[in-house]
Amino acid sequence: MIKRFYWCVERALLFMISSIILFPILWMFLTAFKLPRDAYSISIIFTPTLNNFLTVFAEPWNLGSMVMNSVIVAGTTVLIAVPCASLAAYSFSRFRVRGRKFLFFLILSTQFIPAVVIVLPFFLMFRDLGLLDTRFALIIVNLAIVTPFVTWMIKGFIDAIPSDSEEAAMIDGASRLRVIRDIVLPMAMPGILTSSIFCFILTWNEFLFALILTRRDAVTLPIGLVSFRTEHGDLWELMSAAGVMITVPIFIMALLIQKHFTRGMTAGAVK
Amino acid sequence: MSEVQLVDIEKRYGTFIAVQKQSLTIHNGEFLVLLGPSGCGKTTILRMIAGLEEITSGDILIANDRVNDKPPKDRDIAMVFQNYGLYPHMTVQQNITYPLKLSGVNRDARDARVKEIANKVELSPLLKRRPSELSGGQRQRVALARAIVRTPKIFLMDEPLSNLDAKLRGTMRAELKHLHHELGATTVYVTHDQMEAMTLASRIAVMDEGRIVQLDTPKKIYSEPANIFVAGFIGSPPMNLIEGKVSNGSFIAPGIKIPISIGNQKNVILGIRPEDIELSDASDSEISGQIYAMELTGDATLITLRNGTSSICARGPADYEAQINAACQLTLRSGARIHLFDKTTGQRLRYKSLTNLLYRKNK
Amino acid sequence: MQDKSLSYALLVPAFVVVLATTLYPLGYSLATAFREWDLTRQIRPGAFVGFDNFAYAFSETGFQNSIWVTTIFVVVSVAVTLVLAMSLALLLRRKGRMHTFTRIILILPFAMSPALIGVSYRFMFNPEFGVLAKGLAGIFPSLAGVPWLADPNLAMGVLLATDIWHWTPYMTFMCLGGLASIPKETEESARIDGASTLRIVFGIVLPQMKGILAITAVLKTIFALKMFDQVVTLTGGGPGRSTETLAYFIFNVGFKWYDMGYASALAWILTAIMMLISIWYVRMLISDKKMATA
Repeated sequence: MIKRFYWCVERALLFMISSIILFPILWMFLTAFKLPRDAYSISIIFTPTLNNFLTVFAEPWNLGSMVMNSVIVAGTTVLIAVPCASLAAYSFSRFRVRGRKFLFFLILSTQFIPAVVIVLPFFLMFRDLGLLDTRFALIIVNLAIVTPFVTWMIKGFIDAIPSDSEEAAMIDGASRLRVIRDIVLPMAMPGILTSSIFCFILTWNEFLFALILTRRDAVTLPIGLVSFRTEHGDLWELMSAAGVMITVPIFIMALLIQKHFTRGMTAGAVK
Repeated sequence: MSEVQLVDIEKRYGTFIAVQKQSLTIHNGEFLVLLGPSGCGKTTILRMIAGLEEITSGDILIANDRVNDKPPKDRDIAMVFQNYGLYPHMTVQQNITYPLKLSGVNRDARDARVKEIANKVELSPLLKRRPSELSGGQRQRVALARAIVRTPKIFLMDEPLSNLDAKLRGTMRAELKHLHHELGATTVYVTHDQMEAMTLASRIAVMDEGRIVQLDTPKKIYSEPANIFVAGFIGSPPMNLIEGKVSNGSFIAPGIKIPISIGNQKNVILGIRPEDIELSDASDSEISGQIYAMELTGDATLITLRNGTSSICARGPADYEAQINAACQLTLRSGARIHLFDKTTGQRLRYKSLTNLLYRKNK
Repeated sequence: MQDKSLSYALLVPAFVVVLATTLYPLGYSLATAFREWDLTRQIRPGAFVGFDNFAYAFSETGFQNSIWVTTIFVVVSVAVTLVLAMSLALLLRRKGRMHTFTRIILILPFAMSPALIGVSYRFMFNPEFGVLAKGLAGIFPSLAGVPWLADPNLAMGVLLATDIWHWTPYMTFMCLGGLASIPKETEESARIDGASTLRIVFGIVLPQMKGILAITAVLKTIFALKMFDQVVTLTGGGPGRSTETLAYFIFNVGFKWYDMGYASALAWILTAIMMLISIWYVRMLISDKKMATA
């Protein structure tokens, strides 16, 4: 009897929590399909329209070019950061490198530097080099932010793999590099993919540097959001459409890795 | 040919000495077992031979070649790990083929050889499976197959049977013995299970705290243990070790008086195996005490007597029946082996007159 | 052996990336902190003024306000997030379809861009047409017409809400991981001994989670100190300056008022605070590892 009661309470709680999680997201999705007059009411019943999406991709908003920028910046960052990080992570995990703790702390400590501290020098540096408002600049900056974190994450995954198989391979006749290629990478692939997607998400959502370093050409999606603020007020229905564009790819990726998320988060912290 | 020599090797981790400086020669074709409790250094020695662990000082020679600086892949060895070390993302067939692939054998030769080996270890129906789909015993055989596929000079095995259940362990022991007989390769085998050591080894190196305390054939280790540690480690149930003294031609301890024809000794430890003790009818037997426990093993009853501080275990008949705390009398079998150890050093006491003491009933 | 040189070689690419992109800017910014530099007047850094910029900060109301705002924000957000995350983790580790479903969608708030979250909440809390403003007013009539983002305290409340909504999932995942590493036997034996669930949670589970909770708290503190995106899109620092955190304040000083010297000094003050906390974090990681292996 009491058990039934608790079970109901539990389910109610879960329902409430799921609602809290999903509500802002769903509301934004709904608004994206509303006509302006519906957007400013709170009705759930409305006539859906794709106008907003058409509008944001056209002039003067040009969301399309922002999507392109975000994809290129995030994609390139991942393609550079993940291989570098994987190699370093393997080294940290398997080798008793002298000063290993110190080097690892060095890499990790960059996570604890607020972005505002390095924004200014980057701004000036890129200005001097004529690289303001370029995707290249954004990639450089994102690499700085993301590489340490990804190294830490992948190291956690590699730590969790027992080294027996690698030792067996070395005895079977494989050189260290061969072992990494044939044995470690395949076994660590889920972890590497999870970390890659995590890296992509972080770069995709990056805001401060994009805000300061871009003007027109290299504007990424999160900054594009802010451009929907006009002197007349905020164009919510357009903002929502843009919001949908920003979030859909990320949500799909996030859902792909959510199973491995717990391990990645705690692998370094708990073990 | 494939002799392994460890010359003055030592392994330290900072100030901790895992393997003390010592030498060891493993003869061509022999099955040497490194036996000892956890942390005694046996696995460390194995890994140094394999090249997975760096040697702090000393030399390792394989077939008279100094291999200290050679990586594992150049030492022509094969190893079976305790947790098998299989490649989880490869099929059984790919697992076994991998070593051949690395040594550049062409595809046809590879396939033929893998088929042959798979047959030998009865893995043929499982070739397309992944390790995660196999049972413990099957995985073990894959590890074994992968090891023998290259016919290396030396086999190294790190407690390969310890993850198997008792019944399977028994079967695999016989398989390993047979395999060794067939292949005749030099094998170094690490275990903490004394039964595996006794049944498989041509020689056993008993280790304690980084040092080999006795290196001998199983028979000798069983009948002439060099010290208390070895005496208590080998044999199941373990040898009885009783503190006492020898005076007036007898070994004296609470409830125990055993005639021994040697001079007086203080502080000795007497060693006698349970199977060398039997029940006695006489009321003035060598060993008396109260029954503390009785354990039926199927073919015998292990009777544990207590007398004050000393405890003795004897191997009695399977149909023995008695009450706990009842009085009991035991005597030594004719021809029983008596071992004497010095209490302080733990070393075996040797006597010029006899290599070992045999008890003779003088009735 | 060859392995030694390989071990260093593997580290090189990552280190090149990190050092090249971090060391130089850090050095530059530190140097700028000791100089006077108004970007609207000079293109290059100005004269060396020693610790003037730092000293100025401590007497300047903008800085003092931002410290106050930041402190409130960090304390409340860390406390609430931690409690929620731990509770959620305890709830979500059980089996059930709804549990699994919630666990799956849990990652979504974390994946969402904080800037977008700010925009979204701004929309929902608009007094005239915001769905949450209207909805809450419907349940609590006294809340009708409340100018959520125009009131200093309420604005802070909404800002906190966005941050808590964004970070609780991540922290919940950490707690879930921590809970998974506690041996089940400790709870099971307590249950056999007759302890109630509440007792088990507070007497057995939480004590074993101390390490994880501490690490989670420190991590969240660092993320809270870094928080920036939502301030831009949700409140713009307002109303007035009531949500102007230190990070946002630095941004204004540097890129609205172009006082580069002062901004750099402020940025280094923030960095110093975060460095201290991160050293504490690493110490805790190491000692926790020691305890775990003991």
